[in-house]
Amino acid sequence: MAKILVVDDSSTVRDEVAGFLKSNGLDVATAVDGKDGLVKLKADPGIKLVVSDVNMPNMDGLTMVEKIRGELGNATVNVIMLTTESSPSMKERGKAAGIKGWIVKPFNGAAVLETFKKLAG
Amino acid sequence: MNQPVSKVLVLDDSPTHSNAIKQFCDENNLVGLKVRKNRLMSVLRSNIDLGAILYSENYGGSPEENAEIAIKIHTVRPELPIILRRESGETLDSVPESMRRMYCAAYTTDDMGSLRKAIEEYIFSLTYPNALVRGISEITEGVLTSQFKNVSLSWGTPYIVRDRVIFGEVFSLIPLESSWCRGYMMLQTEEEPILGMLNSDPLFPESNFRDVNALLGEITNLIWGAFKNRYIGDAAAVSGSMIQVPLVVNHKHKYISFGSENPQLCFLYTLTDAEKQREVKVYQRFIFNLSWSPEDFKEIVHDVDELVSSGEMELF
Repeated sequence: MAKILVVDDSSTVRDEVAGFLKSNGLDVATAVDGKDGLVKLKADPGIKLVVSDVNMPNMDGLTMVEKIRGELGNATVNVIMLTTESSPSMKERGKAAGIKGWIVKPFNGAAVLETFKKLAG
Repeated sequence: MNQPVSKVLVLDDSPTHSNAIKQFCDENNLVGLKVRKNRLMSVLRSNIDLGAILYSENYGGSPEENAEIAIKIHTVRPELPIILRRESGETLDSVPESMRRMYCAAYTTDDMGSLRKAIEEYIFSLTYPNALVRGISEITEGVLTSQFKNVSLSWGTPYIVRDRVIFGEVFSLIPLESSWCRGYMMLQTEEEPILGMLNSDPLFPESNFRDVNALLGEITNLIWGAFKNRYIGDAAAVSGSMIQVPLVVNHKHKYISFGSENPQLCFLYTLTDAEKQREVKVYQRFIFNLSWSPEDFKEIVHDVDELVSSGEMELF
């Protein structure tokens, strides 16, 4: 089964998002920041969708996406940002790195579940 | 509701002047609090949201006793301005020199102009735009109700505080950086009430302090994000002043200093679960200790095509 990687420094958000996705039959892995996200993605080719926060310690979410495309050379994994940020410049940076979508927190699983399933399929 | 008030401790037993002081408080956004003499020090040690102290030169009964009380207050809460009511002469000139530094100003009830000037200088010295004060309440209401389901939320009139005493055992800090403000938002709360609410949720039956920390962190993050989106926008990327000052926390005295004497904007939110008889208090403070230019404050107006509701996905 295709896996979704949830990257967020907040355990509250990780538990909430991962718990919701698991309860809807999806396979989920988690990472605590961008650096950890890169390691987990590299180690698991089954991950097809990354749902990531932007503001995180050690490595922010947008830098992580740029490294996924650049350093890892992974152009196929889908990435959605789940963040409190909504500034146009950040979204532009995300688009340039090839993200698929942007969600402003708080997380509303019901509103995005079907899209997540498609992107992880 | 959006005009901040400030709580002042009125240490003045004179029935002759009490009406004038009460009227002054009513007319100047002050909430006057009285305390019995034998409880004064314990109240001072525990009250976390005072703006100033209105102190009568006759409060102690004798000049010596009065001086002793003033010194004690100043020692326990040096950040609180003490404004001295005198029977005559609205200056500190005739106060013994060794005692003058305990007081920030003096007034008589015959001329409340001196008291008004002191209040403006020491409490309401920073102007907070109404749109900002209202917006903070709205943002925080939205965030708290998204994180605490099935509880009621209430909050009072925002107020201005001078004291630096920390409420509860856990607090979060996050910097606010923009062209019109530089400082911090701080959330303070108590651990046990939040644990009580978390543990009553079947999804988190064995929550511990780390879960409290994580929840407070996420609440802080959500408020910060919404604040930034509404009032700062992309300007955050171009601010970037290198000026900082040390923050000092004294755990023994539950005291936090931001290196500035500026009064702080404070909100108190109360979450109530009536069914389970639980209550959580969250104090939210804004400390603009590094820069404050309310004349440059503006709300970010988003273009129509940028409007996506929280929780919905914007696909690229």
